[in-house]
Amino acid sequence: MARKEMMPGQKRFTAPAILGDVAILAWFVFSLFPIVWMVMLALKTPAEQTTTYFRFSPTLENFVTVLTARGTALTSVDFKAALVSSTINCLGAVVVSLVVGIPAAYAAGRWKFRGSDSLMFNLLSFRFAPELMVIVPLFVIYNGLGLFDTTFGMIWVLQLVTMPLVVWILRSYFEDLPEDLEQAALLDGYSRKRAFTMVALPLVRPGIAASALLAFIFAWNNYMFPLILTNSGSVTVAITKFLGGGGQAYYNLTAAAGVVGALPPLILALTIQRYLVQGLSFGAVKG
Amino acid sequence: MGTLKVRDLTKTYGSTTAIDHLAIDVRDGEFFVILGPSGAGKTTTLKAIAGLVEIDEGSVEIAGVDMTQVEPYYRNVAMAFESYALYPQKTVKDNLASPLKSGRHHHYDEAERTRRIADVTKTLGIDHLLDRLPKELSNGQRQRTALGRVLVRPADIYLLDEPLSHLDAKLRASMRAELKSIASRSNTTTLYVTHDYQEALALADRIAVLRQGEFVQIGTPAEIWRSPVDTFVARAVGQPEINLVDGVVRGGKVRALGGALEFPAPAALELPEGKEIRVGMRPSELVVHREVHDGGWLRVTGRIRLAQRLGRDVELDIEVGDGHLIVIDRADASHEEGQQIELDIHLPNVHLFDGGAPDEHTARLGSAVGRGAAPLPEELEEELGE
Repeated sequence: MARKEMMPGQKRFTAPAILGDVAILAWFVFSLFPIVWMVMLALKTPAEQTTTYFRFSPTLENFVTVLTARGTALTSVDFKAALVSSTINCLGAVVVSLVVGIPAAYAAGRWKFRGSDSLMFNLLSFRFAPELMVIVPLFVIYNGLGLFDTTFGMIWVLQLVTMPLVVWILRSYFEDLPEDLEQAALLDGYSRKRAFTMVALPLVRPGIAASALLAFIFAWNNYMFPLILTNSGSVTVAITKFLGGGGQAYYNLTAAAGVVGALPPLILALTIQRYLVQGLSFGAVKG
Repeated sequence: MGTLKVRDLTKTYGSTTAIDHLAIDVRDGEFFVILGPSGAGKTTTLKAIAGLVEIDEGSVEIAGVDMTQVEPYYRNVAMAFESYALYPQKTVKDNLASPLKSGRHHHYDEAERTRRIADVTKTLGIDHLLDRLPKELSNGQRQRTALGRVLVRPADIYLLDEPLSHLDAKLRASMRAELKSIASRSNTTTLYVTHDYQEALALADRIAVLRQGEFVQIGTPAEIWRSPVDTFVARAVGQPEINLVDGVVRGGKVRALGGALEFPAPAALELPEGKEIRVGMRPSELVVHREVHDGGWLRVTGRIRLAQRLGRDVELDIEVGDGHLIVIDRADASHEEGQQIELDIHLPNVHLFDGGAPDEHTARLGSAVGRGAAPLPEELEEELGE
């Protein structure tokens, strides 16, 4: 943590300063509490799952059940399969968004014409409409096209979520990049394509990492599209199925599935952390 | 072959016109300087010639070939950007290698590249920085790297956008000399943009003075100095600025400064009685009276209001009649504030311009001896090689 800003003549440890730290700590505990609660619940036995005690006998049994159970009486969910299909669908959507979105963002950042801003706004406006509004026609169309419950269909619909994000984030990166850099490359004798790949692209790498991760998280957390447009489901849909139905609820299993489901984005974020920090602090591409 | 021929070059941004029907003819090997204040359209002119901005009108011909619609990478011009435009992820060496590696105009093998880079970095004094990234350089070093990326390869035309502006004064003077010798050695046509009149006078074969997207005057440094077409050009060259005082023609004489400045109106100019006139005298050409001159000199008497020592010189603010004049004198002479002082100026150095509103740019009519141009001061004569 950076050093605290001090006023002239101020002492380092004063009552207000310490109270401030305590307040920050309290907020930290408060905001993290749902996650702490989920992890605790995931470690509880079925007998303890409805208690609110902090003391319990922890067990990994729930994780084993979540990852292995299939078609048992307990649950009909194949969570492993859901993990795999979610991963494939989300990565697919992110890759499509990057392949199409990076050139689109570059064009949007560099080429200004009458109506270019409206076009960009239009792209973003897909995100304004609630998914519920389009889900019924989408379901009908998917059924008609035979895209229901296909990987291709899921990638196609998830890139609706990820594409605007990628384009909008990267556009501002390309706009921040001085045009002189690519112009210098043109005069060095490189084509426009080479100027883009050689000069512009490497400089927005942190932005690509950040937008790709955000896009992945958004796709991963999407619930409505996989719920309606697939049978095999996704992690988000699978988690809810542990809640069971008809009386018996498995909160501990739900929590365990939640913990497992949260891991892939977390792992991804940690692996690209270096880029992410650069990427989320905009304007870090100056020479 | 590296001639440049530009006709009717026009670029507008929305409703503002950045450059307006510019015509430029640069001869092969010529060092052509565009001088103008910031916002005059200098950078736009260069970028238009390089093909980096889409022009609204006009044509660009490089080395005898029409390049108006041609992509920048086919034009074989090299440009130093005012913003340096160094690739942040590449070292100094790789930045300089970039134009040599593109293979667009000529192929260089590894050894040739290394030799060229070594040559140019040595000249520019950055040969110890080859493995640094741009962010690890000072502004002056970055600017020299940007200049190096231009000089490292042959091109039909070098376009240099304020390439010395971020160097400190000493380095700027030595780089200026270096640039001049490189230019004459390589004999590459150079279009050089600056707001610094000293650079323009020192480097240029010809200068074009740009104001709000239009050329006001194109001429040799000597012509620009001796016969500026109007008060704008007169003020653009010289530091401190030329003294401009308003006067009027009365009884065949030009009177200004409440009568403290008076000389016969030159007959050749046929100035009518009562004509408003603006008299221009350069601070370096007004000399403190020490010796008796032959005829053709004008005497002005005033009182020192302020003396500022500037190293070798002293800048005097002198109260003359109802106005004041700025004068440059040797610092070794004694200058008391409040002291009476007599100034001499050679009549051909007294420029006459049309009268006008205080901020108006008015045209030159001639000098106090007629239509001719003023002679060149010695120190410039030396520098301009005339």
